[in-house]
Amino acid sequence: MERSLNNPTSEIRIAADVGGTFTDLVFLDENGRLTTRKVPSTPPDFDRAIAEALDASFQTEGIEPTSVSTVCHGTTVATNAVLERRGARTALITTRGFRDVLELRRIRAPQLYDLFFDKSAPIIPRNLRFEISERMGADGEELKPIDESELDQIAQTLDKEGIESVAVCLIHAYAFPDHEKQIGDFLHEHCPGIPVSLSHVVLRQRREYERTATTAVNAYVRPVMRGYLDRLRTSLTTRRVHAPLSIMQSAGGLTTADDAAARPVFALESGPAAGVLAAATIGSASELVNLLSLDMGGTTAKAALIEGGKIPYSAEYEVGATLSAGNRLTGGGGEVVLAPSIDIAEVGAGGGSIAWLDIVGGLRVGPQSAGALPGPACYGRGGSEPTVTDANVALGYVKSGPLGGGDIVIDADTAYSSIKENIAEPLNIEPVAAAHGIHHIANAQMLRALREVSVHRGRDPRDFTIVAFGGSGPIHAAHLADELGSNQVLIPPRPGVFSAVGLLASGIEHHDVRSCQIVANSEAIEPLQMLLDEMTSPMLNQFATESIEPNTISFQPVFDMRYTGEPSDIRIEVDHQGKLAKTVDLARAMFEEEHHRLYGYAGESGSEVEIVAIRLIGRTEGGGVNCFSEYQAKDTLSGSRTVTFEPTDGAIEVPVVSRTGLHETPGPLLIDEYDATIVVPPDWVATTDPLGSLILNKPMIP
Amino acid sequence: MTNTRTDFHPSIDPITREIIGAALASAAEEMAVGLHRTARSTIVRDALDFSTSLCNGNGEQIAQGTTIPLHLGAVPYALETMFTKYGDDICPGDVFILNDPFQGGMHIPDIFVVKPIFDGDQRVAFAVATAHHLDLGGRVPGSSACDNTEIFQDGLRIPWLKLYDKGKLRQPILDIIRANVRVPDMTIGDLRAQLAACHTGEQAIFRIIERYGTETFINCARDLIDYTEALMRAEIAEWPDGESTFVDYMDSDGCDGPPVRIQCKISVEGDSLTADFEGTDPQVPGAINSTISYTASAVALCTRAVMKMDIPNTAGMFRPLKVIVPHGSVLDPKMPGASSMRGVTGFRKVDVIMGALAGIVPERVLAACEGGNSLVIIGGMRKGSHQPYVYYELVSGTWGARPDRDANDGLCNPGNVAGNIPIEEAECNYPIRIERYGLRKDTGGAGRYRGGMAVDREWTLLEGDAQLTIRSDRRDHLPYGLAGGKPGSGSMNILRRADGEVELPVMVSTPMAAGETIYHQQPGGGGFGDPLTRAPNAVAIDVRADRVSVQAARDEYGVLLDEDGQVDIKGTEALRNERSG
Repeated sequence: MERSLNNPTSEIRIAADVGGTFTDLVFLDENGRLTTRKVPSTPPDFDRAIAEALDASFQTEGIEPTSVSTVCHGTTVATNAVLERRGARTALITTRGFRDVLELRRIRAPQLYDLFFDKSAPIIPRNLRFEISERMGADGEELKPIDESELDQIAQTLDKEGIESVAVCLIHAYAFPDHEKQIGDFLHEHCPGIPVSLSHVVLRQRREYERTATTAVNAYVRPVMRGYLDRLRTSLTTRRVHAPLSIMQSAGGLTTADDAAARPVFALESGPAAGVLAAATIGSASELVNLLSLDMGGTTAKAALIEGGKIPYSAEYEVGATLSAGNRLTGGGGEVVLAPSIDIAEVGAGGGSIAWLDIVGGLRVGPQSAGALPGPACYGRGGSEPTVTDANVALGYVKSGPLGGGDIVIDADTAYSSIKENIAEPLNIEPVAAAHGIHHIANAQMLRALREVSVHRGRDPRDFTIVAFGGSGPIHAAHLADELGSNQVLIPPRPGVFSAVGLLASGIEHHDVRSCQIVANSEAIEPLQMLLDEMTSPMLNQFATESIEPNTISFQPVFDMRYTGEPSDIRIEVDHQGKLAKTVDLARAMFEEEHHRLYGYAGESGSEVEIVAIRLIGRTEGGGVNCFSEYQAKDTLSGSRTVTFEPTDGAIEVPVVSRTGLHETPGPLLIDEYDATIVVPPDWVATTDPLGSLILNKPMIP
Repeated sequence: MTNTRTDFHPSIDPITREIIGAALASAAEEMAVGLHRTARSTIVRDALDFSTSLCNGNGEQIAQGTTIPLHLGAVPYALETMFTKYGDDICPGDVFILNDPFQGGMHIPDIFVVKPIFDGDQRVAFAVATAHHLDLGGRVPGSSACDNTEIFQDGLRIPWLKLYDKGKLRQPILDIIRANVRVPDMTIGDLRAQLAACHTGEQAIFRIIERYGTETFINCARDLIDYTEALMRAEIAEWPDGESTFVDYMDSDGCDGPPVRIQCKISVEGDSLTADFEGTDPQVPGAINSTISYTASAVALCTRAVMKMDIPNTAGMFRPLKVIVPHGSVLDPKMPGASSMRGVTGFRKVDVIMGALAGIVPERVLAACEGGNSLVIIGGMRKGSHQPYVYYELVSGTWGARPDRDANDGLCNPGNVAGNIPIEEAECNYPIRIERYGLRKDTGGAGRYRGGMAVDREWTLLEGDAQLTIRSDRRDHLPYGLAGGKPGSGSMNILRRADGEVELPVMVSTPMAAGETIYHQQPGGGGFGDPLTRAPNAVAIDVRADRVSVQAARDEYGVLLDEDGQVDIKGTEALRNERSG
């Protein structure tokens, strides 16, 4: 706890970020004072940890529950339901001839050379996927009307099978939804009480598998999300917290709990999104707009690229896949979800990743992780295999003794002997050299994620500042920067609960999309305007239910563009609030520029540029950078620790300092904080900026 | 660590090797991602029929992108012929291209683009990007047809040429290509994507050299290859020594002729493996002849797939392998044998090699998969614009059953990474309608573990006349089962015309008219183990999901179900006793 909130009448905003291992709560009062609480998560009843943390904070901090004005929440409940197959008993209704579309997916095997690979089971089993006689043509012609007698039959089966949720996805419904509407109305009348997810409501985009999967996932997690949010609401109400509950979406904005319960597929990647958003916010406050965010936890590391302050979006992502499987080209073998999300690359390298030797003595790290239990060897909780954290302890980066709240006590001797026995002796090298190897091989894996979002997209990482957070990020950040050639790193205040603070910084946001195929010229304006209008009015209605004044909303059109005939498109976001014709011209120019940057060439003059989807984003401003303000580290630490940066240079004595008051202070330095350790290697200098962010720079050697 | 080898002497430390190795793998991946995103054809975009590699200065592969496994061995054979032709005349700024299967290429549609990478005067690496082009001219739209009978019908033959000479583009080469293909914008666009990928690879190598120095890079490249070899040898050494021979057939020679025999004898001795294809049929009139490099790829792919370890994709993988192919056979044809449809031969080779490996490491081999993807190509002129179009679809796939578990129903063959084409995209961009896409009941080979269900798909032509080309197989020679498992079902091609249905041969080119519908059903996967030992409840679950019929449950598996679909335990026991008795 950093400081007590001693003014009980002040309005308090609360953020709760629930992860698989820890639940982080942040309380922010009107004066910008912020307190944090980190408690173990309580799966599968994730709301219990929030309730317990609230009770504890209300008591120790003297917070008056009725003074809470908002509760922002990031949750992995929906994703976990898919991963663990704990969703509702769901049925699918689809066009005759296509019930296996969901199971066949894109037919790709995510892992090459693995004959024992098992495709994950479809979230709706084959016997609950029903076909109906109907068909719309690609041009909107009704080739076959719906056979209502079949529908009647299906409705009876739904009842008999005890179906809890229904997904409907028909061929070409993204553009011609009449048949889906008809089925929706029929089910509403004949099967009242069963929630129905219609594909054209969830996602108006072409590509039948992706739309079916997105709709199916939505239907599958809908009752779970509804139940969870209802329980959380009740739990807040019984604690006299009556403030509205907002949920973080995968694309990085907040929405109401009601909306999230109806369209949970938009909130699957809630937690990671908050971290990237927070990185963008804190970076821009320090006048840094080109950032590579790195969130390194116990089992994975996640990277995202923020350019010009803009959040990167991805057209699709997968749920329910194992992390180590697959890659960008083949996919990971999960269900593809086309809901807007922040573009994040993830690799299986975290503090808990296990180091091992292959049959010819090659040193490898991960993808197996010791997780939180048994955890790294140095936790002394039954783990014996050396992990990345053990290497960091053996190198002296991480101190021995109690960790965080004190539930875990790190034993440096165990870390050292585990590396010695399992790695160093078989390789016939010094244990410290082995630890150094483990640390740097873990870095090599994280570099893959960092390169994937930068160089793979035509961006030079040397132009970017690395923003590192999560429990282990600040240990590795400067070395990663060295490898990438970047000479700046930002470690935000409270790196261990950074994502929770990010929730407070976010505004409310809604996204919509329409597939189309329109050549980007002057004739495009009218049809594009129609599609925009079609999206704008329901969005305004949604904002109205959230009591948002229309004049506080900014609307942004986004275009997915390609040269005619190209199979993939580029997303172009234009900062322009004027006439649509001008916006389209600007978008076209930006498209050509981006195409050249990504692929090394633009089209020949006269090449047709097509718009294949138009999106609309409506946003309000959030708490922004004020949420991070006035950071006070608790005690000024002093002392030193023996650290090995380079085995050839031997161990050196490195001062342990507090982040307060650093100004171009030369490394090596160590900064031990409640939730993380920060490593400043030799050749780097550290400066604390007014917000409490620690900026590490590597001065150019003249 | 049980078996550290002593004959592997690294020249740099293993940690640096792992770090630079990761950077190289990431670079090859970056090339692949870039090529994939910029290519114009569906065959690259959806079928992922391309590959990217980085080689050291001697042309030995040091990294490959996660791309089509059957390209694994292509690069060394290609570069060897390039060195023969150009010798020392390989300069900074040069870019080479090739597709001729008689000069180290694979088949006409695959164009290799090779860029040498120099650090000053020193040649340190090569970037290689290979892609299957939608059309390179020749007899039929899409170039590939099983009944092409000489290479000249397969399309434009490109010997090793410098497309760029010391940085200068030789435009006439592009002009010739453009003039000889049906969809020039797409072909040139894809070629440009390959060039961009090579440029990407070059930049990545420069970054690595800048960071670690030229000498470390060169030593590391050598170590990576040695390390791969050591891994391969260590694992082969654990296998029992011995020989195992397997024979399988393709239904047709490509021209509706007799079946084609492929034979492989695998011999394991110590830490080396030999694959001898003696006994394979001579080359055939149709375009399903294959090349040596493709056979070497198949051997490497299968050996790697049955290994427990993850092996880096470097030249070291080939060192413990010896591949013997009779010259003039269907696996190494003489001029002017056609080869544009050699893909089917590649898949059959994989089946034969796997079948032989089942005699060595039975616990690691699966029953036959569907026999590889089928090709269905529809080409004609658009009604309004009179522009030619080529609709090129790979239909894949389903797996065979494994020694300890069922097959995957509906998953691309392990020799491939192809995806399917979204139905809604296809219908918006081509004059076709897709009537059905799904899995067929009672097609997976019965076994203790069930083979994969067959995939089927059906297309209606909506306008004009078109040329329909199909490459499929395994209608007569079914995907084999192992250890008593039954084979999967055979393939089927049915053309529905106004005047009735016609069954088409497995490999065929034929006209098609608007309103006609072509139905293709792929083969099912083979089963593993005796079907009478399959858990009765697993059969009941399959029946419930409509994967297996009540009748097949009784006839194939000896399982009786009651009215609710539950296992009739006593009846089943009695029936099975009677059958096995």
